[in-house]
Amino acid sequence: MKFTYYIKDKILNIIMYFIMILLIMMMLIAFKTPISLIIWILITIFVFDIAIILTDFYRKKAFYNSLLSNISLLDKAYLVLETIKKPDFYEGEILYQALYEINKSICENIKDYEMQLNAFKEYIEMWIHEVKIPLSSLVLISHNHKEKSILEQIKRIEAYVEQVLYYVRGENAEKDYLINEVSLKKVINNVAIKNKDEILANKIDFLVDNINTKVYTDSKWLEFIINQIISNSIKYQNKKTKSIIKISTYEKDAKIILEIYDNGIGISASDLPQVFDKTFTGLNGRSNAKSTGMGLFIAKKLCEKLGHKIEIESKKNQFTKVIITFSKNKFYEVVK
Amino acid sequence: MKKILIIEDDSSIRIELKELLNNSGYETIILTDFQNALDNILNIKADLILLDINIPYLNGEILLQNIRKFSNIPVIMVTSRNTEIDEVISMSYGADDYITKPYNPNILLLRISAVLKRAVKKEDTYSYRDLEINMNKGIIKGNNIEIILTKNEMIIFNYLLNNRNKIVTRDELMTDLWNNDEYINDNALSVNISRLRAKLKEAGYEDAIITRKGIGYILS
Repeated sequence: MKFTYYIKDKILNIIMYFIMILLIMMMLIAFKTPISLIIWILITIFVFDIAIILTDFYRKKAFYNSLLSNISLLDKAYLVLETIKKPDFYEGEILYQALYEINKSICENIKDYEMQLNAFKEYIEMWIHEVKIPLSSLVLISHNHKEKSILEQIKRIEAYVEQVLYYVRGENAEKDYLINEVSLKKVINNVAIKNKDEILANKIDFLVDNINTKVYTDSKWLEFIINQIISNSIKYQNKKTKSIIKISTYEKDAKIILEIYDNGIGISASDLPQVFDKTFTGLNGRSNAKSTGMGLFIAKKLCEKLGHKIEIESKKNQFTKVIITFSKNKFYEVVK
Repeated sequence: MKKILIIEDDSSIRIELKELLNNSGYETIILTDFQNALDNILNIKADLILLDINIPYLNGEILLQNIRKFSNIPVIMVTSRNTEIDEVISMSYGADDYITKPYNPNILLLRISAVLKRAVKKEDTYSYRDLEINMNKGIIKGNNIEIILTKNEMIIFNYLLNNRNKIVTRDELMTDLWNNDEYINDNALSVNISRLRAKLKEAGYEDAIITRKGIGYILS
């Protein structure tokens, strides 16, 4: 709250006030009041008026300034009312009351949506578990009847279903994951077997190097994350060269680094900064109808929750390298 | 013949699972009366139980706990809930393995045979005709001859031996190799099989592995 703006706001009052003083002066002169009395009256009026203006200004300034600065400090601005003192002037009280009502209604609405969203998420989770039953049945049927082409399509459905599940989990929940000492070898093995048929059918060499490492993570979540990366590697293979996918780990600055490298079609430099954005498909995605732009977005989200860092390096037509960094948390070692 | 008890409430899965297991040489029994599950299970005396977590009247985890009070029979938990927490709970109640739906049928079979093998605690030597095979060392011993197999050759030979006189598909062999962290490609599989053949020929069994074109192999 600035004094100049405050004065500008009161300009009409001030003009009327000066007119009033001018009229009083003229009356006093007309009634032949001694000049020294007029001066004293003038001094008294001015001193008190300045005092009135200043006290009013500072009272309001204290309230509005704390209101404004708190709003800019809060990440949920609508909760600002909890952080300020109730004002002691009338206009402020009206504003305070109005904010209170607005706040209440916003909170109620948010609560409402939260409940609806949570109910929806619960329903989605339940639905996914249910849909997996007929899917398992289909997998077994096609295996027993040697229907390879059907099996491939079922696997695609399965992958999409899984994506929804982890999207919901990544958005949601603190409760859904469990950090444990996990063998990377085991997780990579699960992912490899899941993608085995596609890797072999596309004549990709799957190489692992030094993966006998243990990290602290949730094995199911990590499996999903690595699976997204591997399925991208398969999807964006460069048919002109002998394709490889190579997974390796090493230690650096007391951190464990997992690298997933492929010599696929790569990502153009302009697309690279956006690959983790929701529904971003980029040049590669637009030429590949199977892209939804959700896989890496969800992977990143899960990594953030688990406290892992995920980065991508790539050169168009040469390679893509996804790097996941696990910290070697001392806390877990102490607890263990 | 090993007897496997299937506890699963989805009838279509039950039927297909039975077919899968029967085709792989297991005897199967399906539990349909879930109300007196525990008594029935203990009476059947199966070699292994495939236990779904979501069965009517009973929670699979609690059922597992109850089974463990009376029996050490191997149990593989099957579930469509795939969180780390579910897995930890099941394992802590005494499951021998845990597999999530939808599973790869070949992997399920591998897990079953692994759990069964663990339960019997067989020695690590097997025999094929008059050859003695040490699985851990990867050595085949015959008359005055000792042949060393590579890890891949051993995995292949082991699988063929466990399924002797049955057709084994390339996919089954491939799944077993990948399951053992050997991520080889189709060419490498062919190379490994011909090397294994050559080594068996050295031991005097030229015709041991028969190729069924377009289907797979048989160890005769």
